[in-house]
Amino acid sequence: METLEKMTPKICLGGITKEYIAPRTGQRTLAIADVSLDVFQGEFLCIVGPSGCGKSTILNMIAGLARPSRGELVMDGKPIRDPGAERGVVFQDYALFPWKTVRENIEFGPRYRTAGPLSASERDRIVRHYIDLVSLTGAENKYPHELSGGMRQRCAFARALANEPEVLLMDEPFAALDAQTRLILQEELLRIWGEELPRAARKTVVFITHGIDEAVYLADRVAVMSNNPGHIKTIMTVDLPRPRRESLRATAEFQKLADAIWQLIRHEAYEATIDRH
Amino acid sequence: MSLHLRLRPFILPLLLLALWQIAAMAYAQTSRMPVPGDVLTMGWTLVSSGELPLALLQSLKRVLLGFACAASLALVVGTAMAAFEPIGRNLDPIVESFRPIAPIALLPLAILWFGTGTPAAAFIVGYAAFFPMLVNTIHGVRSIDQGVIRAARTLGVSRFTILRTVVLPGALPNLFVGARLALGVAWTSIIAAELAVGAKAGGGGSGGIGQMMFVFYAYSVDLSGIIVCMIGVGLVALIIDRGVRALEFWMLPWKR
Ligand SMILES: Nc1ncnc2c1ncn2[C@@H]1O[C@H](COP(=O)(O)OP(=O)(O)OP(=O)(O)O)[C@@H](O)[C@H]1O
Ligand SMILES: [Mg+2]
Repeated sequence: METLEKMTPKICLGGITKEYIAPRTGQRTLAIADVSLDVFQGEFLCIVGPSGCGKSTILNMIAGLARPSRGELVMDGKPIRDPGAERGVVFQDYALFPWKTVRENIEFGPRYRTAGPLSASERDRIVRHYIDLVSLTGAENKYPHELSGGMRQRCAFARALANEPEVLLMDEPFAALDAQTRLILQEELLRIWGEELPRAARKTVVFITHGIDEAVYLADRVAVMSNNPGHIKTIMTVDLPRPRRESLRATAEFQKLADAIWQLIRHEAYEATIDRH
Repeated sequence: MSLHLRLRPFILPLLLLALWQIAAMAYAQTSRMPVPGDVLTMGWTLVSSGELPLALLQSLKRVLLGFACAASLALVVGTAMAAFEPIGRNLDPIVESFRPIAPIALLPLAILWFGTGTPAAAFIVGYAAFFPMLVNTIHGVRSIDQGVIRAARTLGVSRFTILRTVVLPGALPNLFVGARLALGVAWTSIIAAELAVGAKAGGGGSGGIGQMMFVFYAYSVDLSGIIVCMIGVGLVALIIDRGVRALEFWMLPWKR
């Protein structure tokens, strides 16, 4: 991974602090404090950490949906201020348009975006491509409420991909799925991300998860976060060979990495649980 | 569907009609009691002479005109009030202080401003229809899931396009609720407006169904005529409501 360190980062978070101020009570919540993080071109970065440590906060700021209170946020040398088509987001609750069919959902970005919307025929080609890619063929004309959880997930994923972003931001996209579907979608995600492609041709992915196994299986690097206030504790490099296969999970190296991350966050994970009850 | 099931909705109305006829025959000669038979013949006369359809058409025109103006205005104002907090905050007290004023209370103004024709009647109708449409527009726009708006923004879509492609379709179910309520009050207020405008203008000409009722009431003192007018209004309003519902069914396929 030395090659990574020599590159200029794609996205750069420099000393980011985010404080939420409740509109009515004026109560302040320090969500994250002094977070610095570089994300490189073509890298698959996972963020893990206890509940409430500020993972979504970080992702939303990269997406441009929230602004940091202090610190700077840069992509390709330009500060991030607003959402943009070059940064696609897959939300935890999918946020599909209920009144649009699968096809219309996926076509939304290419059709209505401000920067270079596509003609009907180009759109048609792209939409068909991504519908096939996420195996939603046959469900094009269904509405989101007619889909299973896994299908909705794939539709949200295809909607983000069809807009052809350079960066893909995913906030616990598989959290609501059953274990089998999750395993299948993890493999599919790696394939779609371009595991077989050279790094320059891959998308840059920031992926939030609660699953340590999931993080180790998917990531090039795992950022481990910690609470009170939220900050990045360590960044672990996952030097497992690609393309990754199911069998990898059973290997000793995989288990060792997963266990190391678990040791880092278990203390706080317990505390978070106790706080809740 | 079997014949039996098909007839079921008509059983109760027919029964009531029969009761009415019997009661009317029992208390005959008081002339304040309309008889179904008379209503039927009166209805036939008014329909075949074309008077009733013409009057209904005139009122319908006014209802649709008033409704269309009110609905478009309510759509714009309501969306602005819901989407832009300062606008909502500042307009809300004004709206809320006008809302309790009955449309009929505006009649003197309407007649002074617009005379006794279509503009005055349409103004009253529009005033009545405006508020249900506005309240439902505001509610519809406010209750849109913020998640889908954020999703649209991350797809690189401008705020104005989001208004058109996300906010409006998202609010559409509530807009239909508003439209149906607004059309309902539009019909109730057109009758009142035309009754009053008709009183001012006197008889003659097609002053709409309300004026027709006024003529039956004040000049010929014919209860059957009034009843026929009421039935006519009821039927037209029913047809319109069914039409709006059909439109709703067609435009909201995801709600089926
Ligand atoms: N809009 C907001 N207003 C006020 N406080 C907020 C807001 N959003 C998040 N917070 C606070 O910021 C902290 C971090 O929240 P965030 O959603 O980023 O956590 P998270 O790591 O994504 O948690 P989870 O794993 O449960 O999703 C929490 O303490 C939360 O209460
Ligand atoms: Mg979160």
